[in-house]
Amino acid sequence: MVAVGTIVWLSSELMFFAGLFAVYFQLRSVRTELWAQQTEKLNLTFASINCLVLVVSSVWCQLGVWKAERGQKARTGSLLDIKHWGMREWYVLTYLFGAFFIAGQVMEYSELVQENVTLSSDAYGSVFYMATGFHGMHVTGGLIAFLLIIARTFTTRRYTHANATGAVVTSYYWHFVDVVWIALFATIYLLR
Amino acid sequence: MRVETKLFTYLLAFFVPVIFIYGFWTKWTEPIGVTALTLTAGLFALVSFYFWMTGRKLPLRPEDNVSGEIEDAEGDYGYFVASSWTPLWLALAGAVMFAGLAIGWWLFIIGAFFGIVALVLWVFESFSGEYSI
Repeated sequence: MVAVGTIVWLSSELMFFAGLFAVYFQLRSVRTELWAQQTEKLNLTFASINCLVLVVSSVWCQLGVWKAERGQKARTGSLLDIKHWGMREWYVLTYLFGAFFIAGQVMEYSELVQENVTLSSDAYGSVFYMATGFHGMHVTGGLIAFLLIIARTFTTRRYTHANATGAVVTSYYWHFVDVVWIALFATIYLLR
Repeated sequence: MRVETKLFTYLLAFFVPVIFIYGFWTKWTEPIGVTALTLTAGLFALVSFYFWMTGRKLPLRPEDNVSGEIEDAEGDYGYFVASSWTPLWLALAGAVMFAGLAIGWWLFIIGAFFGIVALVLWVFESFSGEYSI
């Protein structure tokens, strides 16, 4: 039932992001000129690559989940033998991709701050940093969860059902954060 | 999980037309309501889908059986920690961190340190030692 509880919590998280999306669309509909001026400063190529990295990390995460469901916590072959990787190796890879995404976000923020888009500069800056920032905090929380879940595989000799459930619900959270990012990316960078 | 699935599916079926009614009523000029209603429908879609999927994996529960008996519901319900103090420590650390936002970052950092300790203790509570699950 841990899984059901996680999904119910994630549905409430969806409503949290609903608030941020509503703020974005509302301000966008009343400040058309500001939007036209500020969205020019966005770096679409960089953001697209970053978005792709996060989407791919979700794929690695799912591969790890399938290993966890079969009870394979760690690799049975060498590190280069990807076929015999366990949940731990896939989750470490997911972690690295997620960390890359956050590093990319930080770089993007620093670029935008140099172009005078800050949290307090104008309505666009506020809503941009609020939406992407809260998403970034969620990704960071997911990264911490991954570290804890990976660490858990070292504490017991046997990979139990409870252990696998922890890995699976972390993947639910990760997929959720990933889907939210696709929606945010489409809203902020494509729709503008 | 039939009743739960139905409950959330009905609410989904209610909110989907409401999005369009609201949209046409406001001539699609008011984005807050449309966004909020769409994602409310998403909330119900997510929960009802997961209830349905879980229900498919589990055998029929006594609650879903019209002629079910109360004693049919006996058995193993999962693992529950008998008692645990760690959530309290984590909540206290969270309170200190939150106060830190108002008082100063030095307090936030102190709270974060205790938060990390409490979080690690909680996560590993049932997964280490002799009685680990």
